[in-house]
Amino acid sequence: MAETVLFLANTEADGTLGRIALEALAVAKSLGGTLIAGLIGGAVQPAADSIASSGASRILAVAGEAFAESRYATDAAAAEALAKAVQATIVVAPHISRFARCMAGVAQRLGGRIDTHVTSVVTGPQITRWYYRQRMEAVLKRTQRPWIILVESGIVPAWEGPAGTATVEMIAVEAATRSRVIGRQSPQTGQQTIRPDAKLLFVAGAGWTRKQADGKPHIDDAARLILGFLRGSEASLGSSKSLVDLSGEGQAVLPFLSHMNQVGQTGSTPRHPKGLATCCHGEEPHVVGWRFIRERRAVNLDPNCGWTRGKADVVYVADAFAVMERVNAMLAERSAARRAEA
Amino acid sequence: MSDIFHIVVCGGIVPDPLQTLEPVNGPNGPALRNELQLPHVLDPWAAHALYEAAHLTKKHPGSKVWLVSLAPKAKLQQVMMTVAQRVSFELVAVDGASGGFTDSAEVAAALAAAIEAILGLDHSRLLLFGGWESASRAAGATLQMAGERLGIAEQFQGVDELTVCEDGSLRILERVEGGQHQVSVCSGPPAVLGWATGNLPEPSNSPQIGMQNMRLILPALQKAKPAPVTAECAFTSVALPKQTRETRIVKDTPVEDIARAIVEWVTAE
Amino acid sequence: MDVDIVCVGFGPAMGGFLHTIAPKLAEMETPPTVICYERADGLGFGVSGVVTKARGIRTSFPDLNPAQIPMAAPVIEEKLLYLLDPHGASRRYFAVRALDAMARIAGAGATHAIALPWIPGFLHKEGGLVLSIGQFNQWAGEQLMTAGAVQLWPGMPVSDPLIEREAVVGVRLADQCGEPGMDIRAALTVVADGPVGPVGRRLDQHFGVPPGFASNDWALGSKIVVELPDNTSLEPGTVFHTIGFPEPDIFGFLYVHPGNLASVGIFVPSWFDNPARTSYRYLQHYVMHPFLWQYLNGGKLRSWGAKSLQESGRRGEPWLAGNGYARIGEGSGTTNVLTGSGVDEAWTTGIQLGEGVLELIRENAPYTRENLERAYVQRRRASWLAQESRVAENARNGFQRGFLTGLAGMALAGMTRGKITVHARPVPSQDRVQPVEKYFGGRIPLAEIEQIDSQCRSDGVPLHDRLMDRLGWPSIPYDGELLMSHQDALLVGGKVQGTPGFHDHVSFIDPDLCLLCHRRICVEMCSGEAIAASKENGAPAFDREKCVHCGACLWNCDNIEFAAGGGGLHSVEN
Repeated sequence: MAETVLFLANTEADGTLGRIALEALAVAKSLGGTLIAGLIGGAVQPAADSIASSGASRILAVAGEAFAESRYATDAAAAEALAKAVQATIVVAPHISRFARCMAGVAQRLGGRIDTHVTSVVTGPQITRWYYRQRMEAVLKRTQRPWIILVESGIVPAWEGPAGTATVEMIAVEAATRSRVIGRQSPQTGQQTIRPDAKLLFVAGAGWTRKQADGKPHIDDAARLILGFLRGSEASLGSSKSLVDLSGEGQAVLPFLSHMNQVGQTGSTPRHPKGLATCCHGEEPHVVGWRFIRERRAVNLDPNCGWTRGKADVVYVADAFAVMERVNAMLAERSAARRAEA
Repeated sequence: MSDIFHIVVCGGIVPDPLQTLEPVNGPNGPALRNELQLPHVLDPWAAHALYEAAHLTKKHPGSKVWLVSLAPKAKLQQVMMTVAQRVSFELVAVDGASGGFTDSAEVAAALAAAIEAILGLDHSRLLLFGGWESASRAAGATLQMAGERLGIAEQFQGVDELTVCEDGSLRILERVEGGQHQVSVCSGPPAVLGWATGNLPEPSNSPQIGMQNMRLILPALQKAKPAPVTAECAFTSVALPKQTRETRIVKDTPVEDIARAIVEWVTAE
Repeated sequence: MDVDIVCVGFGPAMGGFLHTIAPKLAEMETPPTVICYERADGLGFGVSGVVTKARGIRTSFPDLNPAQIPMAAPVIEEKLLYLLDPHGASRRYFAVRALDAMARIAGAGATHAIALPWIPGFLHKEGGLVLSIGQFNQWAGEQLMTAGAVQLWPGMPVSDPLIEREAVVGVRLADQCGEPGMDIRAALTVVADGPVGPVGRRLDQHFGVPPGFASNDWALGSKIVVELPDNTSLEPGTVFHTIGFPEPDIFGFLYVHPGNLASVGIFVPSWFDNPARTSYRYLQHYVMHPFLWQYLNGGKLRSWGAKSLQESGRRGEPWLAGNGYARIGEGSGTTNVLTGSGVDEAWTTGIQLGEGVLELIRENAPYTRENLERAYVQRRRASWLAQESRVAENARNGFQRGFLTGLAGMALAGMTRGKITVHARPVPSQDRVQPVEKYFGGRIPLAEIEQIDSQCRSDGVPLHDRLMDRLGWPSIPYDGELLMSHQDALLVGGKVQGTPGFHDHVSFIDPDLCLLCHRRICVEMCSGEAIAASKENGAPAFDREKCVHCGACLWNCDNIEFAAGGGGLHSVEN
């Protein structure tokens, strides 16, 4: 029996769809069956118009001020209503915090099932996702319906097509809620070190805070070198679990680090094209967080560290303090030369 | 207005971080090789949730913490030897498979049933805590589904901070994109909070807490009801990733040359 | 906090003690509170290479079925092998070269090994079990926890005994997260914290040791658990004991468990006078010895661990009981250095103390020195354990004088049941270890030794690798599966982790002394590379994240303080 595939997305503040949503649309389309779009947001018409030629047989929406917020009660009610309205057998949505927060609850309301962090969807449908913090990969199918699939970004190109004028069927949803969103804030560390769109991820490992060759730790130098590199390269800062654990013990080890910086092993799985690991051994639970980093290099004094065993493209066996001192100086020279030219 | 909380923390168990994990096919679907022999710990983010719960009860005397865990009894007993020294809680044990391949909906159903059976639980003061995503299934689904079964429509995931305001409302920070937090305010319990790491340090071991906890933990383990959870979906394959690169090792090279190579690579388009 | 009985350390000895008292406690109307604190993060994180006759263990578990305990197997075959050195790099004394020649004549062949036609009776483990100590301790712990009569708390190091008016009144737990450790007061303190446990050593410092006490002999055991290739011909329960390689002084073993697993390891003893002695690299050379490699090639490393063993046996027996305390297990001198066994002996002392304590409880008698001597020590003295330890007492004296003398001495002691032994005064290993120039001088020119020494100092690396390379030891071809770097073995094999909140438990008492130290054996010998040389001449650096608490540093140097701390091995397969 052909599936009824509901492509579900939220609209941005200006009523349009983000790139990640359009990627999810491409995935939804690839499944075949009957494609229907469902939009949730404050304003929805611009989004609907942008996907008018997508092949969706209908475009439904739950719109209004209440649905502009990223909030469980209102999002879940909206998604539930949309799925029921079309009797969706499959729901495809982008894996963003807004949907990660509520779609499992929606699956429960619909009597269905959910898979999140999905990295591949092929006809069947058959999906691929990671288990045990990206240490193993599974391919699976479900017979239970509806089946909600939250797809990761970056797995397919975003859908592109000419805009048009779309007819949107508005669904009225009453959603009682006792919560309101009052804003966003950056981490309290005082330095914005996480830059998801940076071209390079710079990972600092526990070796930065260990006693060096002279028998003493050099925390201030470590901090200076790391922050200096971030400034000079505009990289994003990641860390191994051991280093953020140390920072979390109440010691002012590297004060700009928090658990938000942790890569792998219950931390994040960033997606930068390049990654440079320093003073970090490259053991498996950390390295799985590098899964999406394409080009990888490491600086480590140990020529037998984990990075050398097929986990990095290049390993420089050297003292990271010395190397980064020179790297920062060279980056500063380049930057000065460019300013002089300009 | 009451300012006591009844905090139920849902937490599974996962293998200790550095154990070697390998998938194998079992009679009930995929499992980990030698799963029952691997040392286990309480799921890390669920453990943070537990510590946050304990922290909250200290600030709100009269509050209570339960830990509801679905796991094989013998492994849960082992995990309790470590966890029970840290913070006070009452254990509600459900005897079932703990691996990541079991279905989140089935686990949620078993957890919700166990929670509903807790004597003296005040639903109007209920905060359902847990880890946002486990270190095993990592789907971020189970807690939401359990919350739905318990009729709770105020839910927050990726939580790093909870502040109880003077008027009893809950100010909550959730991780969102870009390394930022979304700040929300909920009027009060009942609410579901799936925790990330939070900001609290790990509590140290306390012999007194351990002794008090252990009096109730063993009976709780003995009366754990079985919950036969399975891997409901059909797994076509489960495999370890085969990402191996040809690593070039640069040794005995002056720092200057290494630095230059790195700068060229970093600045290349 | 007050309890009735506080226990320090959970290993075979404590397992024996708690298994003896727990069933009886469960029958009492108001049983005493019994709490056991174990340093390691889990009950199953121990390490040993165990093949045991299991006499004491079978007393506690008369219906013991090895299949109940993961990785356990009944012994089916035992061989004692003499291994030649295929590289010619080890230090072959004249007597050893003679043995090598005899072995070649007798047909050592391509595997560079010859099986002795018989195993000396004292070494024989017929009817015994091959065990993983981690699995055994975990299994023993699980039984106890389920019964509920005693509480076991891993991840809780104990730092000191509490002593008041010459009686032990409890213990102090280690400080954690800036909070001082709690005092646990108890009528009886049972100390089973092993050969390097801080509580046992504090008791020795405070109460002194018996006349004739000497605890200078030790060995560092280092082992891996290997997943054998699928087509292995080795059967579970197969036991190989080896002598002769990687150095004549280093004994080795391979024991086969069920499930295609084998424990392979070596013992680096205190009478091995090499000042650049190490264990990990020697272990890798051992694995690659042609005789073993025929079985291990294609295998995968599952686990790694290291532990020091007290090998003074009866001579290293401290005061076994005093007012308010009793000592059991390896820290109380139970290792039988003739038979090379310790687990069952430790377990048996636990049973003996358990029976004694039950007697005292029934009598409602206090835990005074006199009562404990009557109820426990005398039991121990009258048992097979004491008898066999007297036979073994001087069995290894010969090694103080040389390898062949040592072997001969063991054989003599074994055959005459200890009546005839080689006489030698045991010397602390710090005093007998030779300077680098003397030990290597015959084989490497002095100028070259100086150069290597100076280069290693300036690079801040230990001597052993470069000296071994120079002697002709081949480099190890890492494959990342079975043969890997030391740090990879720590992570992949030992799953070694530091625990947040504890102080550094290894420190240097007088850092200025380190400035004068030329040998740096602490760096050479460290099982986890946790102690690293400083490039400038200061005290070595210590990295708690890598320490496996083996105690090798403590045995080798008096300037080291080895306190209570958390973390270490997290593998349950050793």
